[in-house]
Amino acid sequence: MVSEASGDGASGAAPSARFESLGLKVPGKRLSSEELMASTKHKTRIELERLTGIHERHIVSGGEDSLKLAIGAAQDCLEHSRHSAADIEMLISCSISKYTRHYQHRLEPPLSLYIKEEIGAPQALNFDVSNACAGMATGVFLLNNFIRRGEIKRGMVVSGEDISQLGVNAAKQVRTVLSKQLASLTLGDAGAAVMVEAAPEGAPGIDIAGFTTLAKHSRLCLAYPSMIGPGASMYTNSRGIQSAAIADAPYLIREALEQSGLEYGEIDYSIPHQTSARAIRKARKAFAERLGDSPKETIINVEEFGNTSSTTHFVALYRNLKDGRFAKGDRIMLLALASGLEIGVIIFTMDDLVERYGHAA
Amino acid sequence: MGTLLDSIAMVHGRRGPHPPLALKLADGAARDCLQRAGRKATEIDLLVNAGLYRDRGISEPALAALIQEDIGANLGDPPTGGHGTFSFDVDNGECGVLTAMHLAHGFLDSGSAELAMVVASDSDSGGPLRSKVPVPQAGGALLLRRDGASTGFTKFAFSTFPEFAGLYESYWEWQEGRRRGLLRRREGLNVLVVKEDPEFVARSVDCAATAVDRFLEDAGLAAGDVDLLIANRFPEFPEGLAERTGISKERLVGADEGLRNAHTAGVIAALDAAASSGRLAAARNALVVCAAAGITIGIALYRR
Repeated sequence: MVSEASGDGASGAAPSARFESLGLKVPGKRLSSEELMASTKHKTRIELERLTGIHERHIVSGGEDSLKLAIGAAQDCLEHSRHSAADIEMLISCSISKYTRHYQHRLEPPLSLYIKEEIGAPQALNFDVSNACAGMATGVFLLNNFIRRGEIKRGMVVSGEDISQLGVNAAKQVRTVLSKQLASLTLGDAGAAVMVEAAPEGAPGIDIAGFTTLAKHSRLCLAYPSMIGPGASMYTNSRGIQSAAIADAPYLIREALEQSGLEYGEIDYSIPHQTSARAIRKARKAFAERLGDSPKETIINVEEFGNTSSTTHFVALYRNLKDGRFAKGDRIMLLALASGLEIGVIIFTMDDLVERYGHAA
Repeated sequence: MGTLLDSIAMVHGRRGPHPPLALKLADGAARDCLQRAGRKATEIDLLVNAGLYRDRGISEPALAALIQEDIGANLGDPPTGGHGTFSFDVDNGECGVLTAMHLAHGFLDSGSAELAMVVASDSDSGGPLRSKVPVPQAGGALLLRRDGASTGFTKFAFSTFPEFAGLYESYWEWQEGRRRGLLRRREGLNVLVVKEDPEFVARSVDCAATAVDRFLEDAGLAAGDVDLLIANRFPEFPEGLAERTGISKERLVGADEGLRNAHTAGVIAALDAAASSGRLAAARNALVVCAAAGITIGIALYRR
């Protein structure tokens, strides 16, 4: 795993990075799994909610798109931040979907250019990252490096995922639970943003951020511009990708824990990539057997949001911050599992972030 | 610390009705690059792809992961203990390679990576979604390693000029009523659209002149200190830039004929020409400049 842990570094202890604020933009319109399955072209008999635990997902409407969700999340992030847009030195946009207007998937210029201009951060260095559902975690991994080396003091990672259209396309073709487009029916839309900054000396922050790509599984989930409707279509070997993740992730979790001097049981909250409740529970059980312990809690929020792709960890983090679930000193592990197969582990210690979301320590 | 160019490779795609896919171009360049360096794929810690016009417009997974699998970089059981390869894509148009190099430089500098590969390729989208991509089918790769001294790539800078964002745009767009094949009528088709305004290069020169002046001042260099100017879009962009900044035109180096308009790999083609001619090794200060949609200007300094 390519990783950077607090306390290591080429020239003594490097400064830590920390999450300074988070932002969320969720579309107001909702679509239940029942409604989605009622729209399929073929009679499927698929009980999507029972299979996945997804009751509904938020979906774009009224001209919302990837860019608008990203901008909304970035603005919300700034409203919760001590900093202004003028303080952002780097802005990384990490969505898979890059839609503007009517499913126009932008390649050039990058979405990050439009986002930084819209939020008033023209001075920020900007670029887009594309790394499937691990996009935002990859952005944090990159900012962590820039901050630890002292090249920048703070940056923003943002993503707007407008992906419910993949479900609309899949509904035209899915016939059984064995369909390679079944996973497309689990998707929901959301924008998320996170400000990452240099932590004050001695303050808690990101304990470790590390990533590995297990590329022998690279072709288990592929998405392209659709042949059957606007937007994209995604073809997933869901069982294959789940099996690979369950088999391989524990090695990398163990490595991350060892590098940060932690035990698995010392993690207060694990936030895995949100695919389906059943898949997350199965992985939790398998990880516990392999690692001999468990985090105190594993957060699952697919019931309301479905799988919001690159934003899932930060949607979950934001919602649970707002709900007052976290306390200062809690150790939280973000586990990115994405097509590639990308496995990323970010462990951080919660600090006064909780106070900016309406809760005392 | 500096970041050294360990090796570099470019591959051409053939013209004709069945051009090679972007992935094959990237794979070929990556393999050639490893062979030239006498390295194994398993030594790569970081693999970053900056290509944009990908096969069938694939958006997931990162093309870098597919390249990693094809070249055989750490595919087996999860590696532990700091080994393994991490792959992802960067999108920043024709500045994407410089952005990827900037990111790689950071991980080499911190010691988290010892060897990084940057790959870029562009091709016609292939298959029924084919559209006319107005760039040569080309792929490039370069290997970067850490240098203990302050030689190699030491400084990167990027500037954006959003007032010119409309001069170069590319996107996938659903077009109603488009046919796929002669007989099959469909509701529509996703088509890759690339639009370049005739003013794009001239405005890029204006933007780059401002950015280069600022960069040289920050680096404590004068135009006369630049021994080599390596840029994409040869010759129009670098010639215009040299004229505006006072850098001698004798110090320009451009990609080989046929690769001069290579898109994301354009800067790799120019670096390849500079390295293979021996001019890069002889230069005390080489300036690498890219113009991209945005308008974005990327600049890197390579010091001997």
